[in-house]
Amino acid sequence: MRKTREAILKHKALYFIALPGILFFIVFKYIPIIGSVIAFQEYNIFKGFWGSPWVGWSQFEKMFQYSDFLRILKNTMLINFYDLIFGFTAPILLALMLNEVRKVLAQRIIQTVVYMPHFLSWVIISGVFIGLLSPSTGLINTLLNAIGVDSVYFLADESYIRSIIVGSGMWRDTGWGTIIYLAALAGINPQLYEAAEIDGANRWQQTWRITLPTLLPTIMMLLLLQIGNFLDFGFERVDVFLNPFNRENGEIFDTYIYKAGLLNNQYSYTTAIGIFKSVVGLILIVGANFVSRRTTGSSLY
Amino acid sequence: MKNRKWLIILFLVMLTAIIAGCTDEKGSEETKGEKENESTTDNSFSIAMRTLGTPYVESHPEINDDKFVKEMERLSNTDIQIRLVPHNEYVERMTLMLASNDVPDVLQASGGVLGPELAGGVEAEAFLPLDDLIAEHGPNLLKKIPQEAWDSVTYDGKIYAIPDFLSNPSRRGTAIRMDLLKQTGLDVPQTVDEHLEVLRAFKELGVEHPYQGREKFKYSDTFFGAFDAFPYQYELYEGQVVPKFMAGDKIKDALTFYNTLYKEGLLSQEFLTTQQPEYRSNIIAGKVGIWSMNAEEVNSWEQEIKNNVPEAEIAIIPSPTGPDGKGGHYWYGSTTRSFVINAETKVDPAVIIKFFDWQLTEEAERFFTYGIEDDTYTLNEDGTVNYEVPEDTNLLNAQHYLNRWLWMVKDSTYTQGILELTEEGQELLRVFDEVLINEGRDSIQFTPPLEVYSSHPEISPGSDTPSDIWMTGAAKIILGQEPIDHHDKVIEEWLNKGGTQAIEEATERYNNEDGVQLPRTNW
Repeated sequence: MRKTREAILKHKALYFIALPGILFFIVFKYIPIIGSVIAFQEYNIFKGFWGSPWVGWSQFEKMFQYSDFLRILKNTMLINFYDLIFGFTAPILLALMLNEVRKVLAQRIIQTVVYMPHFLSWVIISGVFIGLLSPSTGLINTLLNAIGVDSVYFLADESYIRSIIVGSGMWRDTGWGTIIYLAALAGINPQLYEAAEIDGANRWQQTWRITLPTLLPTIMMLLLLQIGNFLDFGFERVDVFLNPFNRENGEIFDTYIYKAGLLNNQYSYTTAIGIFKSVVGLILIVGANFVSRRTTGSSLY
Repeated sequence: MKNRKWLIILFLVMLTAIIAGCTDEKGSEETKGEKENESTTDNSFSIAMRTLGTPYVESHPEINDDKFVKEMERLSNTDIQIRLVPHNEYVERMTLMLASNDVPDVLQASGGVLGPELAGGVEAEAFLPLDDLIAEHGPNLLKKIPQEAWDSVTYDGKIYAIPDFLSNPSRRGTAIRMDLLKQTGLDVPQTVDEHLEVLRAFKELGVEHPYQGREKFKYSDTFFGAFDAFPYQYELYEGQVVPKFMAGDKIKDALTFYNTLYKEGLLSQEFLTTQQPEYRSNIIAGKVGIWSMNAEEVNSWEQEIKNNVPEAEIAIIPSPTGPDGKGGHYWYGSTTRSFVINAETKVDPAVIIKFFDWQLTEEAERFFTYGIEDDTYTLNEDGTVNYEVPEDTNLLNAQHYLNRWLWMVKDSTYTQGILELTEEGQELLRVFDEVLINEGRDSIQFTPPLEVYSSHPEISPGSDTPSDIWMTGAAKIILGQEPIDHHDKVIEEWLNKGGTQAIEEATERYNNEDGVQLPRTNW
């Protein structure tokens, strides 16, 4: 206790600088958490927080009894899992490939072009994808027809929806995700490569033995941050692609919460679902952090 | 190096300036908002209104400074602050307003007073019951608003809102390209089979989408109507209240018909993902033979098609008839929107009632139909109105806004004073009064909606869209991926996922006459 006080006094300038940040987290992140208790109420906006009746765990019971609960959980898990596998590795690969581009001008131009989609809204992206995937006028089906394959109605078939959701996310964010890796790559000491070249290592061996190991801490850190957002996939990017014909495999917690909570006034019920989602996410990040600390030595905390 | 430092400093200064600029703007807006909420005079009140996608409203920089709003205030002797609620975020914004206790004096609800946008406010007594006020201050309201409309805004025996009403709930019609029909040499089709014949002939003529489809069967359910099988409607069948898709085998006939249309390329092949803009642009581009639309818009659409296909001619014909010799589209509720009064308002509610009552006077009718004297219309010496229906899109939008949006309480079926003026308008009056009034299908309706729907969005139908589960199965049948008997499995799934409770609840409420509206018959 005394030690802490001494430490604070010793570094009082630093703590002072950190104060606004701490306040921000308390006011905008921790205080709103208290609102989650409405999950144990039958919340009515006219009775408010104090007037609404307490109902214990019944909202959670309702959630687990809901016949589509497992389906939505499975969709949420699978889509996030695919996104983690493909959406997370793609920027690493792209950064490595960009790093091998020798002409600086070409590298810069490619970089800028691949960043671009990040600034488009999901509504626009869905428009682009719906156009590309259209069975009669879409580019992809035109190509399929050219090689003698019949048109596929991609968006009306539940077996493609997860790929479309994950793929559109990759199209939008892969370029943007390379920024941090490119910065890390620029920080690698060139002498390492020179030494390797003298030892007779080819470019492939250099990538494998020098670039990847030096990138690993960055990759692990970003992976842990990414896992922290697991299950928190975002509502809009999924909702823009959903229709009754692919809903079976595409609906996730966020879209269900929107439909049942915001559009049908079920605030307590959907808060319960949100809490469930957060708890699962928390377990995942603690677990992954533990594994990461044991295996690679780097961890979030 | 030194240069870069300066650049960074410059950048930071600019950033601060921008942030400061933004916050400042926000700050002044807030103070302005506060001022607006304070009622300065006795006849001043605020009202939240959904934009309803009205172009004039959505592109207006400040609706409260609009000349028509000012004129309305002058004529009705009120001072109104309109707060716009974006069309697409209506429910979210309304509930946010109610939850944060930032409630204007008057709120626009949709059809009834128990919809999600009011978040149960009527049950929670957050709005004023209006019976006594209307009896005292609303003679015109009592005289002109039909009982069905009052019923739709009544809860527990008390009236909670002033309805913007519909005297004719049959508003959607079957539109056909008469010029193409003439080319085929066929007669105006009446039954579904005759329609099929015409659609095939259209296909042969090279029409791209003989019948225009649209996602969720919105505005493409004409033939469900012919078979009396709108999948989002309810009826009494063998002692139980069930969705029409469970009432006998008529849904199978309808689905078989749609499957035929799809197989033969008569229904747009991408109807499952065709949204409103594409549905409309296909029609405007002249690629469609028969479609379903709001009859009221037929004249403006015809104008637009003529820009692309000069010889085009559209007519609203009687909808295709099925085995029972009837047909038509779904019937709208008797109320299109309604206005509730905040129970905690500081304004004398009589002022608000009088304002709505004024809307049904002759003076108001002239203003909301033709606009401002010596600006948008002139008076002839004999006291008749001299008004020309504008052709310019912006002026048309202004007229539409005045007729339909700003005129809050009226018969919403059509604007008589405008339609009378032109030949096409008179034709449209005839369509409404002779064609549409004789067709259409109604449903057993429940207000508030069935309890089980709120946590089972996938089995609950919209007002004119089927439930997700049913649509998924029906689409497979129409696309030919599954045989027609697959529908039995669809029913089974719907029942398992909460449909059984829905039917139980519906039947019980029907038997107890608890918030039930029976299908309307005599109009």
